Amino acid sequence: MASVDLAYATITFKRKIAYKSTWLFTVLFGGFSLMAGLAVWSNLLGDGELGGYDWDAMKAYLIIGFLTSTLAWSGSDWEMANRILDGHVAIDLTKPVDFQRARAAEYMGGMAATVPSAIIGTAAAILIFQPASPVSPLAAVLTAFSLLFIFPLAFAINFLAVLSCFVTQRFLGIQWARDCLLAFFSGLMIPIALMPGWLQTLAWCLPFVHFTTTPASIYLGRVDTAGALGLIAVEAVWAVALWILARVLWSRLVRKVTIHGG
Amino acid sequence: MAVDALGARHTAGVYRRSIGAYLRSIAEYPADFWVMAIAGSFWQVMMFAFMTILFGNVTTVAGWDYHEMLVLAGFLSTGWASTALFWDGIWDTGKMIIEGDMDYRLTRPASVLVQIGSKHVGMQVFGEMTLGLVMLGIGWTGAGLGLATVPVGLFLLVCSAVIQAALLTIANAANFWMKGRTPILAFMLTELQNEAMRFPLTIFPATVKLVLTFGLPLAFASFIPAQILTGRLDPWWLVGPPIAAIATAALAVWIFKRGLRAYDSAGN
Repeated sequence: MASVDLAYATITFKRKIAYKSTWLFTVLFGGFSLMAGLAVWSNLLGDGELGGYDWDAMKAYLIIGFLTSTLAWSGSDWEMANRILDGHVAIDLTKPVDFQRARAAEYMGGMAATVPSAIIGTAAAILIFQPASPVSPLAAVLTAFSLLFIFPLAFAINFLAVLSCFVTQRFLGIQWARDCLLAFFSGLMIPIALMPGWLQTLAWCLPFVHFTTTPASIYLGRVDTAGALGLIAVEAVWAVALWILARVLWSRLVRKVTIHGG
Repeated sequence: MAVDALGARHTAGVYRRSIGAYLRSIAEYPADFWVMAIAGSFWQVMMFAFMTILFGNVTTVAGWDYHEMLVLAGFLSTGWASTALFWDGIWDTGKMIIEGDMDYRLTRPASVLVQIGSKHVGMQVFGEMTLGLVMLGIGWTGAGLGLATVPVGLFLLVCSAVIQAALLTIANAANFWMKGRTPILAFMLTELQNEAMRFPLTIFPATVKLVLTFGLPLAFASFIPAQILTGRLDPWWLVGPPIAAIATAALAVWIFKRGLRAYDSAGN
């Protein structure tokens, strides 16, 4: 990593840390939805199981969902969008840094600022709710490894969403649509295993599934070691593919920039 | 008394003109309209899908069947979405305080609250409302509620819209004291609705139920009406939502006025 990347990451990290209230609320929001999820599923599951999840497994599933969604929603998406919307992007074009790489570095900085609170929140949830433990030590390691891919995947999905600002001139609607796709197809709202077959296939064909279902499946042993490694490989492929896709789209969309003034 | 009536007519006129101007401006930017309307329908489509998938696996949630749950979800969506139609400007309160835009509103000869509330329309409402009504309609017929219940449903919906708008006003008015561009409390209110209120409140612990019914009367905007409509509560409960609506609206106006008094301009 070049020093310029590190500099960009540090700036957003510091900025994010400075706004303590926003930071706190990210975790609080996740906490809300975790509590509601626990109440709902405890009521639905009772002593039984649904789609192969019993109560202990579901607790683990929801806590993993809390961790992944806290991380996924912690980046600097509005900062990126505003650069395009208010025309700052024109100045960025004159800088001797790669736009996508610089934004990626910033994004990682923003996410990194949320890591401590996400981990504390998760640890607290584990202590309070006593979820199922990982199926094996190896599964635990692989789960942690699969979680790392959330960083590049979250950036790529957000960057692609932000790029649409070149066309729509607005980000709010795009942000809502992205949040919905992520919440639904990650399995955060309802486990993929409960969906009808065709929807399951669709979900597994999209990158969103790796935000909750993949780490939770590895953790709970719903896939064996080979399956886990396969899923991690798919995550890596998505990370690379989305990065390249973003590059291609950027080079086309940036032509839309109109520079006013004189 | 005559002065009061005149004042109310003036306020209503200001509201109508302000929101009318915005509605006309939407027609000028059709692309923007469609992006927002479609984005607004996303969450509702997802809610609908969630319910349908869930009830593909279970038959009841805390004693509520699929159609009754759709009545609850549809009622919540429609009531909440309607605030985006007639009171969306309130979301700008925090921004206007920080940017000093509030000064400009204060100098105009019209109620500041009305000027802000009618500042713009959340175009997502067109998507949200459509899907909300679809859910409500399917749930309504499926649960066998019939046409005779429609007037009661409409009355409860109006109460619900007033409660939601009043709570939003209070949450946004908090920015008079909190000093921040982002309406954090209003976001929390939205999140609480999305996460907790789409399920029958009975699944939550007793304290949560009490707080959401009498502390922060969100239950009067969705869960209690849905219970009345599905015959779970005695018709006597019909007096609850209008009382909650009047009380929250009065409180909202009072808090907003206190906020304006605490407002000390942005300075330079």
